[in-house]
Amino acid sequence: MRILLVEDDPMIGDAIQGALSDASYATDWVKNGLTALSALQTQPYDLVLLDLGLPGKDGLDVLDSIRARNNPVPLLIITARDSLDDRLRGLDGGADDYLLKPFDMAELLARMRAVLRRNGGSAQSLLDNGVVALDLVSKQASTAENPDVQLSSREFALLQALLIRPGAILSRSELEDRLYGWGNEVESNAVEFLIHSLRRKLGNQVIKNVRGMGWMVSKSA
Amino acid sequence: MDGFKKRLSDSVQVRLSVALSLAILIVAVLAGMFAFVSALDEAHEMQDDTLRQVAILFDRQQMTLHYPATEKIAGDDEESRVIVQYLADSSKAAGNHDDSVIPLPFSTTLADGLSTLNIAGEDFRALVRTTARGERIVVAQETGVRDKEARESALRSLLPFLILFPVLLLVVSDLVHKLFRPIATLSDDLDRRDKQALHPIDEHHLPTEIRPFVVAINRLLARVAQSMETQRRFIADAAHELRSPMTALSLQAERLKATPMPTQAVERLLPLSCGIERSRKLIDQLLALAAAQSNAERPQTTVSVHEVYRRVLEDLLPLAERKNIDIGVEGTEDVQLVINEMDLLILVKNLVDNAIRYTPCGGRVDLSVALAQEIVILQVKDSGPGITADEQVRVFDPFYRSVGTEEAGSGLGLSIVRAIAERTGAGVRLSFSDETNKRGLCVSIELKRGSDQIPMYHSV
Repeated sequence: MRILLVEDDPMIGDAIQGALSDASYATDWVKNGLTALSALQTQPYDLVLLDLGLPGKDGLDVLDSIRARNNPVPLLIITARDSLDDRLRGLDGGADDYLLKPFDMAELLARMRAVLRRNGGSAQSLLDNGVVALDLVSKQASTAENPDVQLSSREFALLQALLIRPGAILSRSELEDRLYGWGNEVESNAVEFLIHSLRRKLGNQVIKNVRGMGWMVSKSA
Repeated sequence: MDGFKKRLSDSVQVRLSVALSLAILIVAVLAGMFAFVSALDEAHEMQDDTLRQVAILFDRQQMTLHYPATEKIAGDDEESRVIVQYLADSSKAAGNHDDSVIPLPFSTTLADGLSTLNIAGEDFRALVRTTARGERIVVAQETGVRDKEARESALRSLLPFLILFPVLLLVVSDLVHKLFRPIATLSDDLDRRDKQALHPIDEHHLPTEIRPFVVAINRLLARVAQSMETQRRFIADAAHELRSPMTALSLQAERLKATPMPTQAVERLLPLSCGIERSRKLIDQLLALAAAQSNAERPQTTVSVHEVYRRVLEDLLPLAERKNIDIGVEGTEDVQLVINEMDLLILVKNLVDNAIRYTPCGGRVDLSVALAQEIVILQVKDSGPGITADEQVRVFDPFYRSVGTEEAGSGLGLSIVRAIAERTGAGVRLSFSDETNKRGLCVSIELKRGSDQIPMYHSV
């Protein structure tokens, strides 16, 4: 994977480049917008990391130029600008994601993977939050203690709903919406029953209850 | 008395009232004196006229005098009676010392005209006239009664002044009070202003005399607002500028952590990472505070409180789990209100973050929302040590931390809460979640629900 890093701050650029090479990405680092544009013309990249506060040509202008040339390269903005306006301009201007400084390298890598995955079009066959992994094809769930547990279709639907966005709290009515189609009669306590059986199969810590709000799976282990 | 002198020198209103009152008093006294003297003169002149008319009447009708006998006539008063006698008869009365018996002993050598004489121990006003027949008559009256009547009529002329003076005093003090009312209202308005409210004073309904003053105050307010804005922007810019080096620092530390190192180095890296993490959090909070204090317009939408609670809990649950804190929402009734969503989110997030931070491991944090007469009450209760009454005022100050807390908070959480509350007109109340044992902090936020009527709905 070849990454183009556009960042004028030498310390940040150095740190990101180092971390990216640790993560086995090949990284070209340029320090202003014009060089970035010429680099993009001569070399195909899998992903661009773009800072907004660049000398000479502003990051948002660089983004406009890239998209004006119909270059569909996945692009992630990394910036210290946190105003909603900048964020909207960035995302509307064709950026795939927007990451605010300061950030953790782990988060940058995760967002890069997500952007690459989306753009690669590869349908995910596995949902994983670090505690539990769900195979979307075989409907099997795995934890460290209980590998390859076969789930019923309702259990699978519920766990899938939670694992799509780890860390998000889903209320009972939201889970019921995922479990029952239009016009299907909702059985009372169905959600509690399914969660109880999932916990029995996979362990108590897999699904967490937030009092008064609903249920969730942890964001990361 | 000293107090009065001070008020006199300090207050234009008092000075004006006193000066006007004194002026009225002096004018009233002078006018009264003049009226009194002229009324007195007038009365005496009228009395002299009476004597003259009697003498003329006597002359014209060619009356002859008969001195009355000693018997009294009803209604005759010796003091006020007018005496008419021939001057020639005065000699017959020589040695008469009783002024009630005529003829009286006038000097026969008196010249024609008016004079005041002392006859038989009494003062008389006497008019001597030579009639057409060549007789000389004297028309006289005692001065005592004349003076008394003249004085009475003169005093009556003073009456209007006596009534007018207090009335004028009342009118003056009322008028002055009324004229100064715009100033009093203005200072009241300024006093009651929120400290963030630096909008100019409306000068259109004020008297021209104080308008320049108000214009100057408005200019000052504008300058203060501008300097506050500059200061705020400086904090925001400074925090913003700090972000880049902090990012570099934390990225480098993260890389360092990934390299194989001796255990001792790993141990020493841990506090370094914690310090970097803390600085990052502090910068974020500084930016949040600067944003909360800025007066920029924010779009308002209908916001569900439970939705905000959910987002805050999703964010902060890892923190609560690390301390094994049971955190949750009490009650299933959701409330919707009209507010800027980010404002409410940041406000609740800071309260919950604080609650988790100051609650010991294994404790409990409860969020709730209630609606009472169009007022939305959000509560965050924890099972921590709580905040004592004397500390409750100071906890809102930036960088204030309770004594004896080891928590690595930024000290800005409640300042941010207060800034948002002040801007959105929300009330913040601190109390104990457990009133009997004086333990646990309970923060109540009271918000107006907003102009729109929103039907309530149930969730979960």
